[in-house]
Amino acid sequence: MAIINAATKELQLKIVYYGPGMGGKTTNLAKVHENMQPNSNSKAKLTSLATGSDRTLFFDFLPVEAMTIKGFKTKFQLYTVPGQVIYNATRQLVLRGVDGIVFVADSQYEKMGENVESFKNMKDNLKTLKLDIANIPYVLQYNKRDLPNVAPVEYMEYLLNSGPVQVPAFQGCAHKCEGVFETLNMLTRLLLGKYINKNAPQYA
Amino acid sequence: MSTLPQLYEEDIHRLDDALREFIQRSDATTAMVIDKGGFLITHQGDSNSFDLTTMAALASGAYLANQTIANLVNEANFDSVYQQGETHSMLVTNIDEFCLLQVIFRAQVGVGAVKYHAGPAREAIADQLQLAQQRDPEGGLDLSVLNCADPSEFFKRKE
Repeated sequence: MAIINAATKELQLKIVYYGPGMGGKTTNLAKVHENMQPNSNSKAKLTSLATGSDRTLFFDFLPVEAMTIKGFKTKFQLYTVPGQVIYNATRQLVLRGVDGIVFVADSQYEKMGENVESFKNMKDNLKTLKLDIANIPYVLQYNKRDLPNVAPVEYMEYLLNSGPVQVPAFQGCAHKCEGVFETLNMLTRLLLGKYINKNAPQYA
Repeated sequence: MSTLPQLYEEDIHRLDDALREFIQRSDATTAMVIDKGGFLITHQGDSNSFDLTTMAALASGAYLANQTIANLVNEANFDSVYQQGETHSMLVTNIDEFCLLQVIFRAQVGVGAVKYHAGPAREAIADQLQLAQQRDPEGGLDLSVLNCADPSEFFKRKE
């Protein structure tokens, strides 16, 4: 969960990119890393724990700084999880302390089953951590919209976003950086919105 | 789910005091308090030679992976991770439910001494975190000046 450090005037938040294998989670992080306007003194470093064939083994990690609010720097730590089914224990570890989630779905028709399974797996893993998806800000990204065999957005909405609360969803082509910043910024908005209008500042 | 308490300046000073004393006694190079979610909370010692933010994220992952292995072999006492190197070694050890102590020390320094002196430091840090938890378990931050209606300004893409 978010850490507010009054000594260093920092608000730290953890965002996890979740979704089926080969859906574009790592590409999202890589594009944020490549294309973000530098905001602070040095460029953030993207760390990937991947296999020899560039499949995420443990996680990718990108620390970024967004803005200063009331003198507090807002620092975000972006993580991806490994999408492959066998790495579920690792996904649970990465979800620990999560503040917000970007669910990256693969728009190809034949991937719909994996999308649904991964979304259910995310909810199950949150439950294991005693977290409820209803209390965690999340957004959807329908990635790979440039491929020829994509499912209609309405169908993906029906599969992934037809619960009691509809969350923001974006179409994306992560490898062209389309939809990447829109998705991240919307989640940031939802996340920071959680902290607005709380009564007392927590610093002495 | 209870979480790490929000920390006042006074809390961080106390944690820093404990880390400084630990470094002095153990001859460690860098000592960090990190959250098990991967956040760096505070640190003392050499911070210029290492990327502490990334190290904290990786150390918490490594520690939690070991905990998972411990569960698989029905072992309750995997409470630290130690790596010996040729120039530097690393110890990651449990503080409490939420936090870890990560220590980088020269390879010539014995891990036994580091572990020995880490004991009191862990206790002092755990006590302070407990105080903070009891003080305000639901603490937050007033961000009411923020215009959340326009999210386009949070992260900007290069032109």
